[in-house]
Amino acid sequence: MTNAASPPRDQRPTPDRSSTVETFRYDNRIVRAFAIATVIWGIVGMTAGLLCAVQLFFPGANLDFQFVTFGRLRPVHTNAVIFAFVGNGMFMGIYYSVQRLCKTRMLSDTLSWLHFWGWNAIIVAAAITLPMGFTTSKEYAELEWPIKIAIAVIWVVFTINLLGAIVKRREKHIYVAIWFYIATALTVAVLHIVNGLEVPVTLWKGYSIYAGVQDALVQWWYGHNAVAFVLTTPYLGMMYYYLPKAANRPIFSYRLSIIHFWALIFIYIWAGPHHLLYTALPDWAQSLGMVFSIMLIAPSWGGMLNGLLTLRGAWDKVRQDPVLKFMVAAVTAYGMATLEGPALAIKTVNSLSHYTDWTIAHVHTGALGWNGMLTFSVLYWLLPRLYNTKLWSVKLANYHFWIALLGMMFYVIPMYIAGITEGMMWKQFTKEGFLQYPNFLETVQQILPFYRLRAIGGTLYLFGVWLMAYNLWRTARAGQFVPEEEARAVSWRSQTLAHAEPAFTHRWLESKPMLLAVCALIAVLIGGMIEIIPMIVVKENVPTISSVKPYTPLEVLGRDIYIREGCLACHSQMIRPFRSETERYGEYSKAGEFVYDHPFLWGSKRIGPDLQRIGGKYPNAWHYNHLDDPRSTSPGSIMPRYLWLLSQKLDTTSLPARIGALRRVGVPYPAGFENKALDDLNQQAGKVVADLKNGQVTAQPDRDIIAVIAYLQRLGTDIKLAPKPVAEAAGGLRAGN
Amino acid sequence: MNLINKLGGIEAFGIFSICLFFVVFTAAMVLAFCLKKPFLKNMSALPLEDERPQDQPSNSDSL
Repeated sequence: MTNAASPPRDQRPTPDRSSTVETFRYDNRIVRAFAIATVIWGIVGMTAGLLCAVQLFFPGANLDFQFVTFGRLRPVHTNAVIFAFVGNGMFMGIYYSVQRLCKTRMLSDTLSWLHFWGWNAIIVAAAITLPMGFTTSKEYAELEWPIKIAIAVIWVVFTINLLGAIVKRREKHIYVAIWFYIATALTVAVLHIVNGLEVPVTLWKGYSIYAGVQDALVQWWYGHNAVAFVLTTPYLGMMYYYLPKAANRPIFSYRLSIIHFWALIFIYIWAGPHHLLYTALPDWAQSLGMVFSIMLIAPSWGGMLNGLLTLRGAWDKVRQDPVLKFMVAAVTAYGMATLEGPALAIKTVNSLSHYTDWTIAHVHTGALGWNGMLTFSVLYWLLPRLYNTKLWSVKLANYHFWIALLGMMFYVIPMYIAGITEGMMWKQFTKEGFLQYPNFLETVQQILPFYRLRAIGGTLYLFGVWLMAYNLWRTARAGQFVPEEEARAVSWRSQTLAHAEPAFTHRWLESKPMLLAVCALIAVLIGGMIEIIPMIVVKENVPTISSVKPYTPLEVLGRDIYIREGCLACHSQMIRPFRSETERYGEYSKAGEFVYDHPFLWGSKRIGPDLQRIGGKYPNAWHYNHLDDPRSTSPGSIMPRYLWLLSQKLDTTSLPARIGALRRVGVPYPAGFENKALDDLNQQAGKVVADLKNGQVTAQPDRDIIAVIAYLQRLGTDIKLAPKPVAEAAGGLRAGN
Repeated sequence: MNLINKLGGIEAFGIFSICLFFVVFTAAMVLAFCLKKPFLKNMSALPLEDERPQDQPSNSDSL
């Protein structure tokens, strides 16, 4: 293969006489391991997503089995796709390209394998614990504290291995792809640690150290940047390496890549508050998040254009080559998603789109289009090289491309229609000034056909992945695996430089990876700091509402069951200050109402109605019957039955530990309250059971459902009480005492 | 928000942030445009260097 882009020989430096050609070997075993894990976890994650999708129009699809209800399965899907499929895909891409770009093996084979097995063991732990209900409830950070610690350790292993390889490189200047990898490694570590801080209660339960508004801000600072630094920057790095390789052309503009990199990592970190528009977050922080989100269009499109323009003069290859087809579709989807994202961050657009399926469509344009298709392209490019053969079937790969594209269209288009439909229906008033669709179920019924279409799209996309898996397997069988690839290079350290490197230029910076890493970290931390400062500011100034009191022991356990079941996957607890919401749900949410919420449970999607003011709206018996069989009280509901709540015994053994941990994170339970918490709980449970009897329901007081009912009946009721002086806010519990 | 205003100068936060970005963006532009073409050409071709004769120094040190 001729390299048309290499500079003419006469422009190359003449090797110094003292230069020695070193022979070394690239490690392909670790790349193959991550590639296999990518395909397996891709199938697992997408299958979990499909099961979730089916349950949304066929709620009985979980067969009344608690471990696979939508609320518990959704985090399995999101974590599997983000951290298992994309995570392994990114490591596959990084381990292959870093070795070649640095002309060295990774720092240590031991670290490489520790990284691989550690990361995949974490994924297995997630796949076991999340269906069991061990979750923090914080989106994309659901794993409980022991797994969080393991993630931090393994991430450090990866970072050392990456930076170590870069330090011992033979290539003097580090290529743009590696800058993106460095930014990924450092930023994810910061995000994971800051957002993951919690006080352990038991082995599988902890409480976030942040509460309410602060917790929401930190979580979405993390959540948005998980998108940025897990789903975007490593994949941009891969784009900068694999797209030129596949097209056999150099990147369109290296200058543009420099501006792309610095502008992107600097801006991305600020945009988190756009997930909290019109919530109880301070308005100026919302505006800052909105403005930086809009600014994000510029570097994102700079990167997209840099990718697409790399194909100038090579578009004829795209017609034949499935690798390039997938890459073009991926980069185009990246462009679409990064144009749409800022649009959704505009407050007026967000007022319609938030909580609807529009967000789901947006996310899947990115996930199925950008991440999925780029991963497929790299796999199709990489596997034949690892096995020293050709792709078994180019035709099958082309079929995969069209099936994946069709599947993606069948997914996102119905979701766009569903999102806009439900957003408009929620806001529609009659001429007389009443809500046109006061019953939330009317909007649910309206979008069910789109949920079915979405499942068809997901099935097609998943079918495509199976085709790819078969094609790659046949490719591997046809070839001979090359575990170690011999390479030769002259190390830049062995050469006498023709002239000194001019200091403080970007070229100079590219030869100093550690300095570049520090600069990248500073660029990222600035945005983080300016988001965290308001968090601290808000913490000091959260308006105290005197009638808002800590949860009673029964409510604490009920809340934890609410978290365990993943109720917030479908129900928000944040009423925005719109007439359409206050008419439907009640008074809009105030920051002071969440000061004891560790973690916050605002949610991000309304598959069912908001629950912030559900307390006192219906009798206890209604809740009992609703959880037993949602369709008995709400015909047409798509909520699953929660039969196990009726029979499972409430676990009170950890109650004192829970009260103690909550006190440690700032909830003002009186000293020694742990000792009488159980009595308090029994007393309140007895009252709930007695009231249920009035509603013709016989229940035992020591069942999960009693705690859940107590929690639901408490929601949003505190501010209905007469205001009291602020000084009294910390004293005593409102109910049960 | 009234409570945020108590801190004073909170309005400047946004303006400061935008100015900061302008500085970073300008610095990146200046650094990018100060690079010389041979270096840019070599760096952009770096992923394609696998086929280059391997006893040649690979980067653009002397360019």
